[in-house]
Formats: sequence, C-alpha cells, structure tokens
Amino acid sequence: MLEKIRAQKTLISVLCLVVTLAITVTAGIDFYQFRNYQEVIIPGEGVTGSFMLSEYLPALEGTYGDTMVYVMEGKTEGPSMLVLGGTHPNEPSGHMAAITLVEHCTVDAGTLYVIPRANNSAFTHNDAQEASPHFYHIQTASGTREFIFGSRATNPLDQWPDPDVYTHQPSGQSLSGSETRNLNRGYPGVADGNMTERACYAITELIKDKEIDMTVDLHESSPEYPTINAMVAHESAMELASNALLDMMLDGVQISLEPSPSTLHGLTHRELGDFTDTLPVLMETANPSHGRLRGATNEELVLTGKDPYYLKAAENGYVWVPYDETGVSIEERVARHLTGIHYLCEEYGTLYGKTLSIVGIPSYDELFNGSLGDYLN
Amino acid sequence: MKKLFTALLCAALTFSLLASCGNGNSGTNANNNGNNTSANQSSGSASDIELPELTGGFEAPILLTSAGQSADSDIIKTLCTKANITVELENQATAENLDGVKTLLISVGGSSKGLGAAGIDADQEIARVQDLIKAAQDADIKIVAMHVGGAPRRGDLSDKFLADPFHAADAAVVGSTGDSDGLIRGLLAENSVPTAYVDSQADCIGCLTTLFS
Repeated sequence: MLEKIRAQKTLISVLCLVVTLAITVTAGIDFYQFRNYQEVIIPGEGVTGSFMLSEYLPALEGTYGDTMVYVMEGKTEGPSMLVLGGTHPNEPSGHMAAITLVEHCTVDAGTLYVIPRANNSAFTHNDAQEASPHFYHIQTASGTREFIFGSRATNPLDQWPDPDVYTHQPSGQSLSGSETRNLNRGYPGVADGNMTERACYAITELIKDKEIDMTVDLHESSPEYPTINAMVAHESAMELASNALLDMMLDGVQISLEPSPSTLHGLTHRELGDFTDTLPVLMETANPSHGRLRGATNEELVLTGKDPYYLKAAENGYVWVPYDETGVSIEERVARHLTGIHYLCEEYGTLYGKTLSIVGIPSYDELFNGSLGDYLN
Repeated sequence: MKKLFTALLCAALTFSLLASCGNGNSGTNANNNGNNTSANQSSGSASDIELPELTGGFEAPILLTSAGQSADSDIIKTLCTKANITVELENQATAENLDGVKTLLISVGGSSKGLGAAGIDADQEIARVQDLIKAAQDADIKIVAMHVGGAPRRGDLSDKFLADPFHAADAAVVGSTGDSDGLIRGLLAENSVPTAYVDSQADCIGCLTTLFS
C-alpha cells in the first residue's frame, strides 16, 4: 500500500513538473515574442526625415528606451509642434493618432515632430493581471495591420526593481514606487537616471534644441475618471487651449479644459511648461478597456469601447462621459485627438501670427463616421 | 467538529460577501452628469420656472473670477476677448481686487485639479467667494454669474459652488446641459435673476455682448 502511494506521489510530482515546464516554456515564448515584436509604421510622403531619440542622450542608444522621432517639415517656415503618442501604450488612441499623422498627413508650413512610441519599452509587454490583448487589428487598403496594446509603464526587464517610494527630480515629490516607470511622471528627466527618466530627459532636450513651440501629449483614461474628454494645459498654454477648445465645441465636440496643477510634478503639462518654452497641452479621451469597471478585456473592447458593465455604470451615473450602447470607438477617440491638434495649430496662428499648417487631418465627422483604416497606409 | 467549523466558515464567508456587495443604491454617487445628484432630488419642478430675459447695462471695468477654480474662467476670458470685451482675470480674487471694478463676473464650476493647483480646498474656496460677493454687494458692484461648463461641471464638487454666486447674481448665463435638473434655475428663480440659457459655449459671445452693450 505504502509502495503504491509512493509510486503515485512520484508520478504526480513528475506530472506537476511537466505541466509547470510546459506553462513556463509557452509563457516564455509568448513573453519573448511580444518583447521583440516589430510593430510596423509606414511613413507617408509628409515625413521628411527621422532620427532616434538617443541623438539627445547617447545613453539611450541600443536600449528599449530609444524611439523613432518622425520629422514632417513644411515647404515654408512656421511654428513647430511635438506630438507624443504612446506615452502610455495601453491608451491606443494617442498612439494611433500619432501614427495617422505620420502615415496620412503632410505639412505645408512649419514643422511637426511626432513620436508615436514615446515610452518604447512599455510597448514590449503589457500589464500583469489585466487580461489585456497583446494586439489589435485595423483593416487598411494594404491589408490588416497589427498594433500593440502595451503597458502603462516601462518594462521591468528594462528597469528593475521599483523603489518603495519614487522621488521625482528635481522637485523631490514622493510618489508610489511603481510610478518610477511611468513616463508621464518623469519629466523634465534625469540624464543619468533610470531608463524612464532618461527618455524624459531626451524628449525635454529635443524640445529645447528644436525650440518647439507646442507639445501635445495624447492620452486615454477610464470613463469613471473625472479628467476625461479634456485638455489639461499649463498656464502658459491656457489661452491657446481655451481658444482651441471653443473651436472644438463649435464642431460639436464636447470637451472641458483643466488647469495643470502646479504642485503635481513629473507630467508633461507641468514640467515641459516650467522647464522649456514650449506650450504644453495634454489631451484625454475615454477608453473603457482601460477602466476598472470593464467586463471581458479583448480587442473588440479596445476598438469599439462597447462594454455592458460600463453601460450599466452609465445608467447609474457612475461615469464622467456620455456613454451608451454605441460605445466609444477608436475612430471617435482618434478624431478627438486629431481635431484638438488641428485647432491648436490654427489658434496658434491666430494668437501668435504664424500657423503650423498640417494638411490631411480628417475632420471629426469624417473619422467618427468612417474607418481609421482609411487614413493608414 | 470539523463539519461544524466548515459550516461556520461557509456562513461567515457568505455573510461577508453579502456585506461587501451591499445595497447598490446606497453608495455615494460620484456622477458628474447631474442626473443623480442629491441636489437633483430637491429641485422638484424648477425646470418649469420662467426667468426674466437678459438685459444690458453692465459696465466695465470687469473683474473675472472663478468659483470652484475650474478652467472655465479661462474659456470665459477667451469668449470675452472674442466679444471685444476686456476683462481682468483673477481666479483667486479677494475684496482688494475690487477697487474700481463695476462688474464682477463669476465663472462657476468646480475642478479638483484647479483647487489643487490653487492649493486650497472646497471650503476655503467657498469662504473666499462668499467674502468677495459680500464686498462686491457692499460696493454696489453688479454681479454676473456664468456656468458654461455643462454637465461635466455638475456633481458633488461643482454643486457646492452654485448657491452663492447664483443667489447674488444680477444676471446669469447658463449652459443648458449643465442645468438639466433645474437646480440652477431654481436658485435664480428665488430672486428672478435675468438669465440666458445657451446651447454651446460659443453662444455666450452674444450674451456677453448683450450684457455689456
């Protein structure tokens, strides 16, 4: 009897080991493939050049923190704008709005700089225990394109361990340790800091060197978060943002304006305004796949924003945006960002006498009623 | 004995699950859209009340301030600029800023980001606004209250800032979507305040022109 039990124990142990190894190998392959996946961006004719962000901090070269900066220079001189997509790669409308600019638009006057993967490392993994999809797919004329749904934060493989408390430099502000991997808590950046701080530093140096007039950081947030369908502006950019916002309202786009808190450090709309001459604005759209109240987290939710639990939450008054069974599609979210960029450029011309002229930005209605794939290569 | 413990544990688990689920209707409503706020419940049929039409006669110099520290004050300043009306914006204005002022324009709407930026809490903001309104009334300065932020500027935070400016107002401009429950209309009705309701912020330009013509 004892022998039988012993034999069974050995068998069970071997089985457990085999199952564990199988899970480890499968997960390992998945992690490896995701980390090394090459997302394809197909620059359009409006892109006149490109360089790696590490030009502004050689320590980033060859690391996952380095990222491509696309340059779209107009035929005539004019003001400049930097668009940051993918600060948080689990907020796809910012990423896709930046890619749309790179693939579909041209610049007549002035210069547009676009970084679609601002936190490149955060595109190499996604958040544990969130059940997020790795990819979402968009149908274009050239076929089905695949884009990454990444993480809010830098990959721990690139920056580990997190401290118990993250102390922002130079303010000395204390935040939870995991925020040390959040690109939008690391500005103005630290040249010899961790990877996230280095990326922030390089972006700040880029803005200073190119004397970039406006910076737009594109984000998404949960429908239950108060600062949503909103622009957040540094005090230096408040006049520009309020004018652009009124234009958006006239187009029927409901959006609110929020001031950048002067005591909350590390964010683009605060630090880039304090440490450079750029006018920084951050934009937020509603993304149910990002929220806490969501049900099944899958590609469909990322693309359509349709979720029965958010519908229930909306019916009971727990969300901060209009939400019904039509959801919040990726088209609507990208359209919001692009419309904001369009009017920021236009109003900059009104206020400062020189216009950044971007050609080919689809109107809000065109994109809202159409397909994002129509504006991708 | 084992069975008894198991039964007790099951009962405790079931009880704790029920307790944590709670009653779906009893939670605090964090909603912004004004459909379920406590103020809604007390507003009754205020949305049926007729208010006098907006008239002119308001004069410059104009001091623009905020009640709630939302960036709506910046939007109102932009609207004034578009209407060729010069205003001085001082989001944290006090009685000292009223010197020489003939009209106090108050942008009503709360923002946690704005309060944070100003380094104050809602109670301090309410106290400042009350003091400012009293000083303006003592100095015979006219008061115009504007709520242009729509539904996003309603809810637990913003509703705290409604009563003082709208009770004291000599005229008001209100975005329709921000008063779907009639709460603001009810406040204005108490003093029959001449009011214009607008469908979009851009429509405020016409109202401002009327007020300061």
